[in-house]
Amino acid sequence: MTISLLAYLLIPLFSAVLIQFVSRNKENLADIIGNITLFAGLLNISYLIFNPVNFKLSFSNIAQDGFTLLMIFMIYLVAFSVSLFSTGFLTKEKNRHHFHSLILVSVSAMCGIVTAGDFFTLYIFVEALAVASFALIAFDDNEKGIEAAIKYFLLTFPASIFILLGMAILLFTTSTFNFAGLQNIVAGGYLSSPIMSGVILILLGFLIKSGVFPFHTWVLDAYQGAYSPVSAFLAGTITKIAGVYAVIKIAMIFKFFDLKLYKISETLMFIGAASILFGAIAAMRQKDFKRMLAYSSISQIGYIIIACGLATPLAILGAIFHMFNHAAFKTVLFLNGASLEKSLNTTNMEKMGGLEHSMPWTSWSSVIALMSTAGIPPLSGFWSKLLIIVALWEGGAKGYSVTAIGAGIITLAYFMVMQRKVFFGKITDAAKKAEEMPALMLAPVMILCAVIIMSGILFPYCYNYLIETITRTIL
Amino acid sequence: MTNIFSLDWYFISLLFFIGLYCMLVSRNMLRQIIGLEIMSKSCLLAIILSGVATNNVNLAQAIAITMILIEVVVVAIGLSVLIKAYRITGSIDLWKLSKLKG
Amino acid sequence: MTYHLTLFVIVIILAVIAVMAKNMLFSAIALALVSIGVSLILFTFGSPWAAVFELSVCAGLITVLFISAISLIQKEEKFLNESRIRFMLLPLALIIAAIASWIYIVPFFESLSKYPHLNIHNYPLGQIIWKNRVFDLIGQICILAAGVFAIKSIFPRPVRDTRAKDLLKGAEKVNNK
Repeated sequence: MTISLLAYLLIPLFSAVLIQFVSRNKENLADIIGNITLFAGLLNISYLIFNPVNFKLSFSNIAQDGFTLLMIFMIYLVAFSVSLFSTGFLTKEKNRHHFHSLILVSVSAMCGIVTAGDFFTLYIFVEALAVASFALIAFDDNEKGIEAAIKYFLLTFPASIFILLGMAILLFTTSTFNFAGLQNIVAGGYLSSPIMSGVILILLGFLIKSGVFPFHTWVLDAYQGAYSPVSAFLAGTITKIAGVYAVIKIAMIFKFFDLKLYKISETLMFIGAASILFGAIAAMRQKDFKRMLAYSSISQIGYIIIACGLATPLAILGAIFHMFNHAAFKTVLFLNGASLEKSLNTTNMEKMGGLEHSMPWTSWSSVIALMSTAGIPPLSGFWSKLLIIVALWEGGAKGYSVTAIGAGIITLAYFMVMQRKVFFGKITDAAKKAEEMPALMLAPVMILCAVIIMSGILFPYCYNYLIETITRTIL
Repeated sequence: MTNIFSLDWYFISLLFFIGLYCMLVSRNMLRQIIGLEIMSKSCLLAIILSGVATNNVNLAQAIAITMILIEVVVVAIGLSVLIKAYRITGSIDLWKLSKLKG
Repeated sequence: MTYHLTLFVIVIILAVIAVMAKNMLFSAIALALVSIGVSLILFTFGSPWAAVFELSVCAGLITVLFISAISLIQKEEKFLNESRIRFMLLPLALIIAAIASWIYIVPFFESLSKYPHLNIHNYPLGQIIWKNRVFDLIGQICILAAGVFAIKSIFPRPVRDTRAKDLLKGAEKVNNK
């Protein structure tokens, strides 16, 4: 773990404890403290990454790991959006100070995960994140939230047991959990099949936590049953950081493709392709807005996993950039889903229709997000998918790259169907009463849309950042 | 003849199997948490055993102490949501949880 | 060494009892005994600190948590008709697993027992916890904070107005009776 980034971890933790003491009876104070902490962190990390001086020096002045910095930026961006949105979304009787301190603790745990330099440290923060997100899922007092929380509990914690068993074998064979130490072992050519059996167990645990195709059931229930802003937070960062981040990290360390570990590579790529196709096809038949987005999320995770299976430098870059983009566009879609739920009191898509007149901002921001998801050229999703597909083609997995392109078309199809049903078309009875959200709740959606558009247009800048800072650590 | 090291691993794998079987079979949430506990006990033993076998037992102990703390937090959270589920739905049966479908 | 292996066998038998017992209270107590057995095994491995933590925390605190949870939901036990057959099948499944594990897992670890090890310096426990793995302590603070906030948000303080209403309702019921 790098000491220089420790402030991103400790300050939210401190604010979370502070909220519990200060704002027990003054709920507005909790909103203010939570949002200010996250906004300050966001400004700070943006200054580190987007300082124009960096570009002139070709990013040589960034001493830290570029991957970690990008992930911290993503965490703070999504957390700030969700926290600002829920300031307007939470009703009076809710316990705001619990909500904000849980969000802050989970931000702190996620920063711990991305700055960890050690499998066991990573594991502790993953558990902390699981506990915090578990309470966030159960935040809504109704039956759905509790059911989603129990299903999450019964799949996440057994997955951690697999991770621990894998770490026991790793401790026996290598006597270290350190990423740098493991990288030395891989570079020295000491990799043996017992070490890989431990790594496979760890990989299995993190795949369950990230919710890819054979282990996807908890994702659907958790995203659908959770409190609406929490679904956005879960889909945007929590499952990505808790599961997919570690898979990318393992792929970066063990370089499956270079080391002729074809079986692991093939299996991961197969799982990725299966979840891309499964998610895309199942999403077409959904009637519930949030459940459809959950299937779409599984499909997008598939792209990241398939790139991790290949694990060439270009594929890893594509995976990292896609993870960042996915956080942006999926959060926009889920927050829009929450807006729809608030104004219509339902998430059933068949009761919606013609909402573009009453909710224009929500409608057009979700058009931008879905175009990015499907990979329409100027937007950011296109570039990350292009990186992954090119890497797959170069790596010789041509069948998988064709699958990825085909699934992109299916994605476009189901989002077009969704958009026509919900926002265009005839106005239904429920939609007549709908009103546009206040500016406070539209602001985070607009910020995220700006991020989607800017990272698409300024792709050369992003690409340079990724190449200069991340390949330095991969190679 | 097998040596003591692989016999230890053999028993650990059996303990792990008992916990896994309990989690797969039962529909009582409390019993699921007991299964989880048994599984994490086997993991604890595995960590310490690896530490002992590589003459690195202090690192293994440091890890085991942290694991025990995590275990307590997880069990407390699981039991608290179980009680909440019991208050809301009046049952701790997993099969009665079927509100979420698509 | 026979002491060590006997402990393992006892732990496995207790774990089977914990899973198979019909009464949940009995099950929780069997789990506590499993914990005690595990802590004795840890002691024979020469790791006293982990054994002490296991004994005090897992056998003590977790059992208290389990028993209090069981006492809160005791009525449910009578209504949850789980079929016992699947639990009765556990010894059979365990025997099958034991044979399979003897065939597959033992040879794997047999080959591992001659695995070459690097010479590691075995630092004292205090130095490992407070110097080498200091970030784990931050992680522990983080998970404790997460646990406390989680329990507080799962059982929130009731809002004062509704509590007054409930009291009024209760008073009315008493009056009606």
